[in-house]
Amino acid sequence: MSLERIKIAPELYDIMPPEYQDLVQRATYGKESRGWKDIGTTKELIEEHSLCAGCPESMAFRYILASLPNPEDTVMVGSTGCTSLVFPHVAVHNIHSLFGNQNAVASGLKRALALRFPGRIKDVVVLAGDGATVDIGLDMTLQSWFRQEKFTTICFDNELYANTGGQESGLMQKGFVAKMAPVGKTFEKVRLPEIARESGCHYVVNCTVSKPNLVEKVVKNAVYVAREIGPTYIQFYTPCILEIGKNSMEGLQEMRDAEKPNERFAYKEYVSDAAKELLAEIAAKEKERKAAAKKQLAGQNA
Amino acid sequence: MATPSIIGQKNKKGQVYTDPWYMLHEAPRTPSFFTGSEVIKEAIRRASVDVMIAYPITPQSEAAALIGELFAEGYVGDYFRGESEFAVMSECAGAAFGGARVFTTTAGPGTMRAMENFPMWAGSRLPIQMIVTCRGINSPLSIQPDTLEMAYLLQTGMLVWHAETAQDFYDWILKGYMVAEEPDVHLPLALCCDGFFVTHTKDMVELTPADMCLPPYDPYRSPVPCMDMECPPVRMMRDPFVMKSNYISYATHASWQQEVWAAVERSRKHTIAWLDGLIDAENVESDVVIVASGTAVSQGREAVAMLADEGIDVGLVKVKTIRPWPGEEIREATKHAKHIVIPEFNIIGWLAREVKATIPNNERVHAGPHVAGGMTMPPEIIVGEIKSLLGMKVETLATRGS
Amino acid sequence: MATSSYKVLPGPEHFLPPAAAAMGIRLPNPGEAHIHGEIVPEEKAMEVAAKQFLMAKVPTIFPGPLVLWAWNEKAAQKAKAVRHLFETIKECVTPSQRPMLIPMPDYRPKYPKINPEIEINPNHPNLTIWHNKIDTCMFVGVHCHQANLSLKIIRGGTSCYTIAMCAQAGHEDAMLSFRDATAEKILKLAEWIKKLKGTVGPSQ
Repeated sequence: MSLERIKIAPELYDIMPPEYQDLVQRATYGKESRGWKDIGTTKELIEEHSLCAGCPESMAFRYILASLPNPEDTVMVGSTGCTSLVFPHVAVHNIHSLFGNQNAVASGLKRALALRFPGRIKDVVVLAGDGATVDIGLDMTLQSWFRQEKFTTICFDNELYANTGGQESGLMQKGFVAKMAPVGKTFEKVRLPEIARESGCHYVVNCTVSKPNLVEKVVKNAVYVAREIGPTYIQFYTPCILEIGKNSMEGLQEMRDAEKPNERFAYKEYVSDAAKELLAEIAAKEKERKAAAKKQLAGQNA
Repeated sequence: MATPSIIGQKNKKGQVYTDPWYMLHEAPRTPSFFTGSEVIKEAIRRASVDVMIAYPITPQSEAAALIGELFAEGYVGDYFRGESEFAVMSECAGAAFGGARVFTTTAGPGTMRAMENFPMWAGSRLPIQMIVTCRGINSPLSIQPDTLEMAYLLQTGMLVWHAETAQDFYDWILKGYMVAEEPDVHLPLALCCDGFFVTHTKDMVELTPADMCLPPYDPYRSPVPCMDMECPPVRMMRDPFVMKSNYISYATHASWQQEVWAAVERSRKHTIAWLDGLIDAENVESDVVIVASGTAVSQGREAVAMLADEGIDVGLVKVKTIRPWPGEEIREATKHAKHIVIPEFNIIGWLAREVKATIPNNERVHAGPHVAGGMTMPPEIIVGEIKSLLGMKVETLATRGS
Repeated sequence: MATSSYKVLPGPEHFLPPAAAAMGIRLPNPGEAHIHGEIVPEEKAMEVAAKQFLMAKVPTIFPGPLVLWAWNEKAAQKAKAVRHLFETIKECVTPSQRPMLIPMPDYRPKYPKINPEIEINPNHPNLTIWHNKIDTCMFVGVHCHQANLSLKIIRGGTSCYTIAMCAQAGHEDAMLSFRDATAEKILKLAEWIKKLKGTVGPSQ
């Protein structure tokens, strides 16, 4: 809830379960410099999740929620899949409606919020799997970009349908043998980052979630650009260790292997001129803020 | 309905937020000669709609485009053309999740393409209003009036009303929001009419003053949390899966479905007040009663008049809402009837099926006449069916002109 | 509309009990309440609800998100009133009675299960009722949809007497329901409990 509303009624505070007492005391809503480093020292916005042990998607989810610049004024839209098992436990309002319609729902949602709260920050962030983003929902994904809808689309790309048991998806690599691709996938991995650029996204990143600081940076950039300019797209490799035959502890290495130069998830970004300008402005302000804080700290210590 | 304090204030177009009951029942009316599409526009001008999402499909395209003009004039908060009916209905859902009063229109194949959204709307308790200007849905393609698509809407959990005339349309669009947005109802409304017959013909319609409008929608009276990060609980998903494999999950899901249909039931009280009953019944002491909805009512009324000229007394029941289903009202209105004649603009006769499932001695139901695919329904064929039921000689219309 | 012969009574009612609305039970109009589905003046319901609390072995209030969070001034006032009501119940019952105040903090399905000692959840509210042997409860500040789910599941599987202090149109699925709840209305119920203290008690 908007920051000033995230408080428990004092008369009923003592009966609230500890997770909520924690949430109001130790979560980082409203904290200007919130980010991945808060994980472990503050209350996270995911209470719990039922994803597999070692699932890179669960790491990605935590990094993203720690990095959203204004979670107290963010509404997320998900789709059917493993993410929808996590979303009920996320302390940011979020919507699941149907499989694949996430960018359509987000379009209506963002417009309603812009209309109801003029002049206020109300970020909308879509977070869906590759089946939802690229296969069943591709039309609505692209159309929201064509229309220049001002929200961020994040795709958790695990290169298959994980929740239904490992079927072929459009983002799967060519040749991979999977359910519904019994002789191996016959066509190339869809090049959605390039399509996103051509469809009007102002900030596009393709990478893995192996480095939390990188996740923080691109998530913040994507949200800032969407807020001010237009659609943004992030494609994160979040391998399904279960379906590619890896063990719980092997997810990180899988991502590191996949992000090597010339690999599928080597870091790749496209930034429009308008977005470049905005991000430079934000970086300058951030630098100024840090310098001022440092100066103040020096003053206090003197 | 918003808090009373908003009543009397002006919106940015200078319209006064007016007590809806006063506006619709007591305020002066101006007779105007309009097409059905123009009437939709005039109702929406007064409906304080936040978001309208449009997509072209005959015969609703004109109405959908006219709402765009209202947006350009500043009467509607936001408006755009979506990419398909499936997407449009999801976009409508998004706007409604975000606390907006939402309006859209569709027809025929568009209704079918969007179908997955409707049980989702109802399950999510989104009080979206959708105009359905019914047309053919099967191959071969037809853009002409046919009410078959309504049969598919009946099990979605949406409220389904069937307007006969442009006047119904005008009043029911405005009243529809009042019923659908009640916190104990809070369901989507499919306000249906027979395409072309209502949308593209001109009719005299009594309009309420253009400087009065409905109070805005208040999303914080919703029976479920609005997704705007302004209301508790903060840890909230609309709507979470309850599909672990155990009795508790199944029972929760079943209870959720029951709650949607309970909300349809609760709409009765409000609908009866706003529409002055779920049915209109005339002369139902007769041996023969016509039960109809939509423009079939108008044709039935003509038939009643023609038969009266010949000294044959026939009653007429106009069914205004299909969901909620006026079962008791129809049982009561048909209790004296020996023959119940149900003319319909579709081939399957879904209205007759509903009536048959409702009344005792349902062999009294005569399902027909039926026309489809854009055919008109001359009152003579209703007259003919009734006469044959009464054992009277009938000349077939098909021979006319031979 | 014919009057329904259906009565909204404590269960356990059925494997899947019907929604009371589907059985013809209608909600009260402003100024009214309902008891077992029958429309009564609000004052009458105040008296009956107060007696229910005083007679219960484990009289319980379930506050929901709309009062647990001080998200606006009205909510903050209601939270105060709810606490006052709970304290009043505690003061007015005998030592053998065990009043409880258990929150419904959110509506998410929690697996494998909630801790029934500290919360109630709309997806399986019966667990909290059973665990704490709650025989009378009142919902307040729960969104209507989730309140109806809870009330119906409780009626299906438990013998608990349910009361709804609803800020909107009321709940047919409760055995007794107020509508248009305000902080004042909650305080008024506390007054009734004080007034009737000692006149009724738990059955032995």
